[in-house]
Amino acid sequence: MNYHASSVGATRYVGERTPRKEDGRLLTGRGQFTDDVQLPGMLHIAFVRSPVARGRIASINLDVAREMPGVQAIYTQDDLAAIPVQMMSFFFTPIESPVTLLADGRVACVGDPVCMVIAESRAQAEDAAALVELEIEEEAPVVTIADARTGPLVHPDKDDNIAAEMGDEDMLEEAIQPLLDKAPHVVTHTIRHQRIAQSPMECRACVASPEGSGEMTVWMGCQSPHLAARYVALVMGLPQESIRVIAKDVGGGFGLKNIPWREEVAVVVAARLFGRPLKWIEDRYEALTASSHAREQEVSLTIGLDDEGKLLAGWSDYACNNGAWPMGEDANIAVHMFMWPAYKLPAYGFVTRGWYTNTMGLGGYRGPWAMESLIRETTLDKAARKMGIDPVELRRKNLIYLPDQPVTSNMGIEVTDITPGECLEKLVANVDIAAFRKEQAEARKQGRYLGMGIATYIEPTGSAGAMAPMTGETVQLRIEPTGKVVAMLSTHSQGHGTATTMAQVIAEQLGVAYEDISVFEGDSAIGAFSPGAAGSRQGVIAGGATWKATEILAEKVKAVAAHLSNAPVDAVTIDGGMVHVEGAPEMSRSLKELAEIAYGEPARLPEGMASGLEAQFRYQPPPMTMTSAAHCCVVEVDAETGFVKILRWISSEDCGTVINPGVVEGQIAGGLAQAIGQVLLEDMPYDARGNPLAATFKDYLMPTISDVPDFEYLHANTPSQTIGGMRGVGEGGAIIGPPTLVNAIADALAPFGELGGETGEVTLPLTPSRILDVIEQRDVSGHHAPAEKTVAAPVAEEAPAEPVAEAPAPAPALAAASIDGDWDMTLKAPMGGQTFLAHFETDGTALSGYLSAPEGQQDFSGGTFEDGRMKFEVKVDKPMKVTLKYDLQASGDTITGKCKMGMFGTAKVNAVRA
Amino acid sequence: MKPAPFDYARPTSVAEACQVLADAGGGATVIAGGQTLMPLLNLRMSQPFILVDINGIAGLKGVSRADGAIRIGPATRQADALKDATLAQHLPALVTALGHVGHYQTRNRGTVGGSVALGEPAAEMPAAAVALGATIEITSVRGTRSVKAEEFYLGPYMTVLEPDELVTGISYPEWPEGHTVLFREVAQRTGDFALVGMVGALALEAGAIARAGIGWFGMGPTPIRARQAERALVGKALGEIDVQAVAELAVADTAPFDDHHASAEYRRTVGRRIFARTLRETLDIRSAA
Repeated sequence: MNYHASSVGATRYVGERTPRKEDGRLLTGRGQFTDDVQLPGMLHIAFVRSPVARGRIASINLDVAREMPGVQAIYTQDDLAAIPVQMMSFFFTPIESPVTLLADGRVACVGDPVCMVIAESRAQAEDAAALVELEIEEEAPVVTIADARTGPLVHPDKDDNIAAEMGDEDMLEEAIQPLLDKAPHVVTHTIRHQRIAQSPMECRACVASPEGSGEMTVWMGCQSPHLAARYVALVMGLPQESIRVIAKDVGGGFGLKNIPWREEVAVVVAARLFGRPLKWIEDRYEALTASSHAREQEVSLTIGLDDEGKLLAGWSDYACNNGAWPMGEDANIAVHMFMWPAYKLPAYGFVTRGWYTNTMGLGGYRGPWAMESLIRETTLDKAARKMGIDPVELRRKNLIYLPDQPVTSNMGIEVTDITPGECLEKLVANVDIAAFRKEQAEARKQGRYLGMGIATYIEPTGSAGAMAPMTGETVQLRIEPTGKVVAMLSTHSQGHGTATTMAQVIAEQLGVAYEDISVFEGDSAIGAFSPGAAGSRQGVIAGGATWKATEILAEKVKAVAAHLSNAPVDAVTIDGGMVHVEGAPEMSRSLKELAEIAYGEPARLPEGMASGLEAQFRYQPPPMTMTSAAHCCVVEVDAETGFVKILRWISSEDCGTVINPGVVEGQIAGGLAQAIGQVLLEDMPYDARGNPLAATFKDYLMPTISDVPDFEYLHANTPSQTIGGMRGVGEGGAIIGPPTLVNAIADALAPFGELGGETGEVTLPLTPSRILDVIEQRDVSGHHAPAEKTVAAPVAEEAPAEPVAEAPAPAPALAAASIDGDWDMTLKAPMGGQTFLAHFETDGTALSGYLSAPEGQQDFSGGTFEDGRMKFEVKVDKPMKVTLKYDLQASGDTITGKCKMGMFGTAKVNAVRA
Repeated sequence: MKPAPFDYARPTSVAEACQVLADAGGGATVIAGGQTLMPLLNLRMSQPFILVDINGIAGLKGVSRADGAIRIGPATRQADALKDATLAQHLPALVTALGHVGHYQTRNRGTVGGSVALGEPAAEMPAAAVALGATIEITSVRGTRSVKAEEFYLGPYMTVLEPDELVTGISYPEWPEGHTVLFREVAQRTGDFALVGMVGALALEAGAIARAGIGWFGMGPTPIRARQAERALVGKALGEIDVQAVAELAVADTAPFDDHHASAEYRRTVGRRIFARTLRETLDIRSAA
């Protein structure tokens, strides 16, 4: 590391490996985490959790537990229900599954919280929790996605186990299959991604302290105190100002801490009910088995290619296990949105579903849509092997390079400045592939199996403006009368180093010493709303906000200095904490002198200028900023034991302006470590009774320092269109890492056969047993048998459990009665029902009218009405541009049929006369 | 993750410790290094009424050599045993295995006796005790008895140790100077319990194998001695050993199981290979020498 020794003078800060402001306190054990909070009169909480996956609670006997020493109260859902709560997703939409803070009559997964014990110490709370007598009538659980398709209902009030569903099933037959049929080469690949336990270093934590008249200060491990405060206020129906959330230091979030979940909200509710400060510190057993899990997906992708290797069409079938109580029902539409914008693929279609099961709920996890890169990049490599094309060449033929842009993907994503191709070229220029292939061939002769994997991707970062929580970022900046600089940010760090990077931007733009800048974040009473560390956004948006706010403040400093010195503003410069006037060294003043005047002697300021030296800017960036990368990994597979050793890993990423290479590389490395864990080690399996099988770190294998190599980094620096030109880099390693490593292993195993065998089904993690399956071409792992039944080949995918009603056959003449007038129409969309007023007017066979709801009215015309069959299209802009195609049948006083909503799937439509 | 309440005793003699164990009527658990016990206590998987801390008993620590045996005090820290000159000279197989027990940090607290007494079937120390023909010395108020390591283990975490008994020594018979160490372990991460592992020793006399002791770990409910393989090796000249056939015999004595880290078939397949590879390497070196 070559740190800048000095910070005075014409020092550049942006682009430097500046030592982190956070490291002093973190590395000396002086961080301030939620568990460090001690309050007078504080009590401790332990949850009683369900030991069974599915069943009815017959009785809860608290008599013995209540008598235990130190116990102050034991709450069940009946108690907490005194304060109504409607849980919401990260997008502030209500959770559809009937989730309560504690189990309400039924349990739906092992770990479901049933009671909360409040005692004077955590140990006493656990002692009492062990004596709560819970009687549950156990029922056969729904554990896997396959179970969910055919099994009983996870939530008895739902129609089926589909938590969310999107995609256009008809598109396969209508548009994609004909293209695949004509394609000279068709390749299908399937990946089963295991369930991941998020495993932040610091488990979840919450301290809630009720104060005064209904106010509450909450310390919480979260990814944004602003979002956490807004969330808690919203779900409890409280004024936002009644909740203050503080989160000074947080040991990792990854998406788990995007929103407070059942336990955190339960602590807040219980603190209101009990009237004393309450603390809950999740332990590692709870964290592994009862914190929202991630991934567990089954996806297959079929691509058609021409003889040169150019992509012709693609079809994907995606399913993920939402568990019982997902932090938002999710069919992971982002997988499909971001699968192809970096590639020239003319036609793509998909179906995508999230399934309820009796397992712990699903949450977002670093690159929640990462499966798009994993399935695409591994399928491309499989095609390359099959067709005998070099994997780099195959990508060159299909990737979008800068001169190809702007271009809009088949899914409507416009890209204007992505550089996956350029990153790949930079990577290839720095890796001697030909030499490796020679080495690989030599090694194989000696029975050593080396493999090289390459993958490319783009990543949407810094999203803002399209979804409720994804806002801009605010920076409040001031030069104190002491001349020191204070910044208050909307950002939040769970290890992201935002205090460092933002201070670097300020130091550079304001001409002050890095050490003279104090950064405050981590408190909802400081700064302004943003979702914090979510969606690789802080460097992009908060960076831009800081950049601009600093410019504004610098302009004010210059204006004051110019006025005081009677010099032109252009002649004023700031450097090293000193304000200079060109050609008049005697007029130099320190920022401190200038600030003392600005605060203490406002009469000396230019007329009309506000006193003090303060600036604020809220940056609303472009809706999305794309980051690109290409990675290369070299492995050796031990053919005797099936062990994979990573020999080399090179990252070539383009995150635009790099504020601090150390921070950027730290983000990439952290994501890659998680990628290595996902490909080789981590697994949270459930047994057939719905018991999580990796309850400690003895069985849940996190990658350790010995499993993670020293990564090499190449930085391309194509500035983005944001202020400052940054691109997000928080999630990339976890997205591009898995396909890079899987491709390297597949390359190493190529002499033996395809990874995943003849069926082409790859199950993660690639344990030594599963590697031996390929090497020995037999079922060493014993995992093949159960794996076969779950996903059919995409082309042959069966209809969903409950098929959407087909458009009715030509109707009887009776139906041709007039439909003119108002109808109450219900659209049962995959993401929830919607009711509105539909007004139809017919003129012969021409149909027009409008649909009206509180959100507004949408007019339409150009529809047809023949023999009772109504066809019309309505274009909507939100949440995305999509054309809704209605195909309905009127019959007397009812209208039924369906509405195709593009990639959002198909909704059932019903209407009755208003 | 807080232990259930327990009482705590720190006896200063074996007699005192045994009395506490006897008085507890089966409700006591012995703690030495605590590297396994503390997590079990925190998870409430172990809920003793009283914890008997043997770290204050001076006589339970250290390594001694007498009467053709090496005796290790059960409370000897793994890190101390790793540095011990007597063990390095006379029981190199044990020292090699010790280097794979847990991690650097855990070995500073973890004890040899704790690992031996716990009976984790995928751990190195029980298998080494079985392979090297160790005898476990067990003491209680009822007296002292000695049990061969091979007879000590009954199943995963199950031994012949009665609730009132304390392991007071582990005696390893001496192996001849210059004997050969056999060791190989396949674990997913450094410091993990083995998916499959083997430890042992071969003593040679006049170009033939005079003595063999080989144990498996991770290959069944207990550490398993590869008896058939040992019999096939003893008396054979180095040149006439059919490595593959011996490896088959070695695996024939095992009873591995499936878990989500590896299948039984994986353990058998890879066990056969590491056995053959280790034996071949050893014989090659010996033949060349």
